[in-house]
Amino acid sequence: MSHAQDYYTVLGVIRDATQEEIKRAYVEAAQLLHPDKNQSPGETEIFLEVQQAYEVLSNPKRRKAYDASLPKEDQTSRPILHEISYSRGQLVRLKESQLVYALLDVRVRPSDETVTAPPLNLCLLLDRSTSMKDAKMDLLKAAAIHILRDLRAEDVFSLVTFSDRAEVVIPASYQRERFKLESQIRAIQASGATEIYKGLECALAEVRRGLTGRRVNHVIMLTDGHTYGDEQACLDLAARAGEEGIGISILGIGTDWNDNFVDQLASRTGNTSRYIARPADIQKFLVEKFHELTRVAAEEVTLEFGPIAGVELNYAFRLQPETGPVAFGAPMQLGPILRDTHLSVLFEFMVTPSALGMNTLRLLSGNLKVSMAARPSPAPPIRVWFEREVTTGPDPAPPPTAILGALSRLTLYRMQEKARNDLKAGEFERATRGMKNLAAHLLSQGFQDLAKTVLLEAENIQRTHSLSRNGEKEIKYATRALIIERGGWVQ
Amino acid sequence: MITCSNCNHENPSGAVFCPECGAQLTGADLTTQSIRTDKVAESAREKAATLEYPRAISDKAWGSLHLMESGQILPLGERNEYTLGRVSEGQPIMPDMDLSPYQAYANGVSRLHALLKRDGKRVVVMDLGSANGTYVNGKRLTPNVERLLSHGDVVALGKLKFQVLIK
Repeated sequence: MSHAQDYYTVLGVIRDATQEEIKRAYVEAAQLLHPDKNQSPGETEIFLEVQQAYEVLSNPKRRKAYDASLPKEDQTSRPILHEISYSRGQLVRLKESQLVYALLDVRVRPSDETVTAPPLNLCLLLDRSTSMKDAKMDLLKAAAIHILRDLRAEDVFSLVTFSDRAEVVIPASYQRERFKLESQIRAIQASGATEIYKGLECALAEVRRGLTGRRVNHVIMLTDGHTYGDEQACLDLAARAGEEGIGISILGIGTDWNDNFVDQLASRTGNTSRYIARPADIQKFLVEKFHELTRVAAEEVTLEFGPIAGVELNYAFRLQPETGPVAFGAPMQLGPILRDTHLSVLFEFMVTPSALGMNTLRLLSGNLKVSMAARPSPAPPIRVWFEREVTTGPDPAPPPTAILGALSRLTLYRMQEKARNDLKAGEFERATRGMKNLAAHLLSQGFQDLAKTVLLEAENIQRTHSLSRNGEKEIKYATRALIIERGGWVQ
Repeated sequence: MITCSNCNHENPSGAVFCPECGAQLTGADLTTQSIRTDKVAESAREKAATLEYPRAISDKAWGSLHLMESGQILPLGERNEYTLGRVSEGQPIMPDMDLSPYQAYANGVSRLHALLKRDGKRVVVMDLGSANGTYVNGKRLTPNVERLLSHGDVVALGKLKFQVLIK
């Protein structure tokens, strides 16, 4: 065992972990690392360490003796750092419900050793339905070939196509003979309908063949169409993938795909969707996503927490690295940390008067778990809690700039979200007004072009009681991009 | 409860922005927005004062608008793009150039009526889907399509007419 690692680190638990937590960590590690499952060099040794750690820590007597031999816990050796800031200094005792925002920032401690980027276990899942025919298909193939050429020797790669059935074009493995594979990609033909479930199931099966905690396991799906009837089954698949440590990102091409559905799908794994307005940009977006995966420092951060009486989490939104809504799951998949970009998530809590009895209120209390393929052993989970003092006087302090800035842009995003919901509910006037308000704010912040698009759509709502398909996606993804563009609100 | 001063929506205490209209509810300022509010406040104050005396044309000026009815001259120069319209109470729409001091309402100018833009030597105007239309030398423009302007062209926003003078 290396000097930096004690038994707690090996198991990935905190020093004051309960016996139950230790047992669970052991079972999890054993499932991942069992010698029957893994052939990668070094993994059997790690498994033996886990075994040894568990034997000591699961026995209260031996654990006590072992604890006594440990040096005092050194805060500076923690690989993951986190900070929390709040929209207000205190909560105020009121007879009505109140809102409070918390911004969670998680980053990997910069280390002196050069961290090698973990290898990828990547599956490209390509929609080859009839609508992808001709130019679009050619651009898609060219983009896939580009990725193939960019792979590193240690990356595992697979390629699956789907329409109303799925087909493994390139099975998951290290790809040595790339020329041969290129011709296989070129032979892909477009035909059939879009059925996401079949494609996703097949792609996940390929990723599972190379699934280990030492790799960044990911599916990138490119689609241009609606799937019908299998949405719930898809979401269940994605939720399971999230638990297994497989990410799913989705690139939607053109206007006919269901952005709300694929957003939900991706968010089950802590990821999101992106909008490719012009087929000519397929390669640009795909390469961008691929390079992001190669910059991953921790591929997955999850937050596990229980309910607190009188406190309700209304909304959670990832500001970066990839802007998008965070799904409410147990645990909650927050997303990845990149080497050059922290993970920042904004939470909105509603606090009812009944929760304000004590002098301090916990808004959330839980564990942050971070999977890092680059590290040989799991990073210990971090206990996190969001809490605020409760006072009777008013809270004079304005929100910190970081939160104010994030909220100002997030408000724009949520305004379009709201207008779309109003529209769906048949509230045409409200939806129109919402869009006009959004346009005014965009204008005042200097985004003339986007403001014009929004005004056009406001008119569309008034006239036709609907949004144009490209307008609705353009506005959604452009207001999302403004959140990232602002930046600067995280150190 | 915080009542939004802009749209009267009632927000729970602790809210920072009004989800209805997007207005900021707390006193704190963002630098990007403070410029904006200053400007609006300024233009509101100047409404009366500037009526008679147009501001001096600065070095950066690239043109001006000559209001035909009142004979006033509005300089163009601080920026390369101006949205033209009128500020109306209780509405968050804020055009760069507020024409309400010049009988904009009576002349049928929309709150966000048209865009005037300089691009190198070219100056263009574009109707932003206004209710009463934008006319150049008497011809109505298709909304959201740019129209090149020459020195001396007469533009009408609804019935409010001005001559465009380009430097």
